[in-house]
Amino acid sequence: MHNSEEFKIPIGPQHPALKEPESFSVALKGEKILGIEIRLGYNHRGIEKAAEERTYIQDIYLIERICGICSHSHSTAFVQAVEEIAGLELPKRALYIRTLIGELERVHSHLLWLGVAGHEIGFDTLLMYTWRDREIVMDILALLTGNRVNYGINTIGGVRRDISKEQAEEVLKAMDTLEERTKYYIELGLSETTLVKRLSGVGVLTYDDALRLDAVGPTARASGVKRDVRKDDPYAAYGEMDFKVITEKNCDVYGRTLVRLKELMEAYQIIRQCIKNLPEGPVTIKAPRKIPAGEALSRYEAPRGEDVHYVKANGTEKPERVKVRAPTLANVQAVKQMLKDRFLADMPIVIAAIDPCFSCTDRLVSLRQVDSKDKKTMNWQTLREYSIDWHRKQGIDFKKLNQKLKTNV
Amino acid sequence: MFKDLFQILIFPGLTFLVIFSLFAEYFDRKLYARLQNRVGPPWFQPFADILKLLAKEELIPCEANPRMFKLAPLFAFTAAITAFLYIPLWQIKTLFSFNGDVLVVLYLLTIPTLSFFIGGWYSTSLFARIGSVRSMTQLFAYEVPLFMGILSSALLANTWNLKEIALFYSAHPWFWLFNLPGFCIALIALLGKLEKVPFDIPEAETEIVAGSFTEYSGKLFAFLKLTLDIEMVVGAALLAAVFFPFGLQMNPFAGFVLFLLKIIFIVFLLSLLRTVMARLRIDQMIDFCWKYLVPLAFVQILLNLAVKGVILK
Amino acid sequence: MSFEEDIKQSLIKKFNYLEPVIRIQRARRIFLEVTPENFHPVFEYIAKDLKFSHLCTITGLDENEKLSFIYHLVQDPGIMINLKTSVPKENPVIKSIIEIFPGAEIYERELVDLFGAKVEGLPEGNRYPLTDDWPKGEFPLRKDWRKKNA
Repeated sequence: MHNSEEFKIPIGPQHPALKEPESFSVALKGEKILGIEIRLGYNHRGIEKAAEERTYIQDIYLIERICGICSHSHSTAFVQAVEEIAGLELPKRALYIRTLIGELERVHSHLLWLGVAGHEIGFDTLLMYTWRDREIVMDILALLTGNRVNYGINTIGGVRRDISKEQAEEVLKAMDTLEERTKYYIELGLSETTLVKRLSGVGVLTYDDALRLDAVGPTARASGVKRDVRKDDPYAAYGEMDFKVITEKNCDVYGRTLVRLKELMEAYQIIRQCIKNLPEGPVTIKAPRKIPAGEALSRYEAPRGEDVHYVKANGTEKPERVKVRAPTLANVQAVKQMLKDRFLADMPIVIAAIDPCFSCTDRLVSLRQVDSKDKKTMNWQTLREYSIDWHRKQGIDFKKLNQKLKTNV
Repeated sequence: MFKDLFQILIFPGLTFLVIFSLFAEYFDRKLYARLQNRVGPPWFQPFADILKLLAKEELIPCEANPRMFKLAPLFAFTAAITAFLYIPLWQIKTLFSFNGDVLVVLYLLTIPTLSFFIGGWYSTSLFARIGSVRSMTQLFAYEVPLFMGILSSALLANTWNLKEIALFYSAHPWFWLFNLPGFCIALIALLGKLEKVPFDIPEAETEIVAGSFTEYSGKLFAFLKLTLDIEMVVGAALLAAVFFPFGLQMNPFAGFVLFLLKIIFIVFLLSLLRTVMARLRIDQMIDFCWKYLVPLAFVQILLNLAVKGVILK
Repeated sequence: MSFEEDIKQSLIKKFNYLEPVIRIQRARRIFLEVTPENFHPVFEYIAKDLKFSHLCTITGLDENEKLSFIYHLVQDPGIMINLKTSVPKENPVIKSIIEIFPGAEIYERELVDLFGAKVEGLPEGNRYPLTDDWPKGEFPLRKDWRKKNA
């Protein structure tokens, strides 16, 4: 920086543009990006390893926590794989409810993305408006499943909660409001000059590059690649739903915005169909605790793209191997391509446009002692002891607190 | 002597200006929030922010040049306050006045931007440096239309003295309507000067954290924040004095209130504009300023020359 | 005949040794296993001639003496081949496929970090997903790996 024109700036691991820790090191010349280096892995939590040490039922909840936004996607993909190995034939009603929750999740995720995109290009009003509307769908999810984020509705062999008539009506009402608002956003997206200026022509990923780099989801569809697992490889109740796969030919961030906005409209239609055609019957069937040996691969169209789960069972109650490939990992390769010869100012929105979810992407972290010479992995117990010790050194006494807790118990 | 000191330090100088600027910030923030369907801050929030910052420790990066780093906010603050003293606040009187003071106000308003550049540059942080360079680049884009817009009004009045501009327009009421295009140009350019959306490129949060201000904290940051608020009020006051020179015959109190209302109205327009737009890129911003604003300003000048030649003859 | 059956037949026609190892598990899911020597011709045939143009991911498996890798390939629309190959654990060398699928780079890095696979032809670069100071020779997804102090 001091004497040459070229310099490197770090975007991340901690940076206001990134909602999760991930590192992008950008080489700049003036405002132009010369090169970009991506370092992933800051969010690794060892979920794949942990899944091997837990039972299938425990794994559902563990895997649901891979990601906060597409939690239903991961848990559905996982239980689908397990059900395929166990050879379970699911009741129709369960499949419809899964589809319904999945689409509600897509609505909330796309609205969230729209807000984030607005923020990345300095259009905070859009952020505030879309997140206000997102509350509607969050409330609906809380109404149906009891939770706003990790719904916990999937179980092996069906879903854990049924939907009542009143709840269904609430959902339909919410859909009407949301549809009207979304129409307004589409109109806004097509007409607001500064928005169009900032989005169009930015982060171009051509059709060929999208294929070559294996892009998935809205990122690929905005480049004209007609790939949607819901249509190509129907799961849950999607085979019976009537919906279009949205593609755009823009190949840029603007196209990705349009794809997501139009997908919202499709999602409302699917939700309406789910409610209208919801079959009667049980929502769950009994599943064995021990899953017979076998392997299965399950694909799921998460809001961000194709989510792949591979499960191998060995006849015990714990899986032999669970492999998760989140959509962001497939798309992050394309980011380098999109940022070639662009400006620094485009960087946040281009990264945001693949709707990155880094905690999905990384799945393992271990805590290690950095201050001691031998870098040992700390387990829960030592970590706890370390923490108590540290606080004691700071002069905080836990004795009183412990006594208080005891008397309360 | 005491009267001068009172005017500079208490009213309508430093103290009043600080309080009024913080109020204007509140107005801006509250309006912005309401337009975005949020609740917005309570009325004392800007005051609380400043008081909190003043009580905080200030950190100076080891690599920064401490003298320049500390002086830059003070330069900016002083320049912004000084500029206010030349603006006629009620009736036609200003505290200080001489021929050419409109130019002095404009140049004094440039000093904060320069100071931000110096402060950002000497703080040696990468983000601050990029922000500094951007604010300088932006300066060259908006300064020209801003000057042209404001001076077109002065051209019509045939004087570069704010007091005489006011005199001219009270002698020729309704002539200010000719300057409305110039007002729009100056208002947009003012958005660039104040680094507000869509021209908040130098402090684009999602790219370069806070631009020039990244490394500032505590008292120094409080001064920077105050400077931005004061700049907004002074800029709005300048626009009000140049483009809305009506109601100057009223009694001092009513005239003063009217003048404050004019300032608030311009702040209102600024908040409105920043609500409905996204941040542009620096190249788009420069394109826009040179391709649209500057030619428009030329048209305004030609119009004013024509008015001068035909009607005023 | 279904599409899956077509693909199976054309694979067997080209590589007759595949007959006993190919199975259609369900609609749109084909599983097959090849030895490391045969891997590349089969892989190229599937990817290029049969136009399985989308690589979902690569799964690593620890099967005691062997490390296995499953390449999940998709043909538009929706038919999936899971191509498995196994290498001995002492010397787990596989060839990189980034010439055919440039996007596979990150999946191969994951195999390197988590399973200790040696990928020939993988360019130097940042590791993924473990930290830079992760101890050498520790591969967390191998079955014999245990957390220290656990």
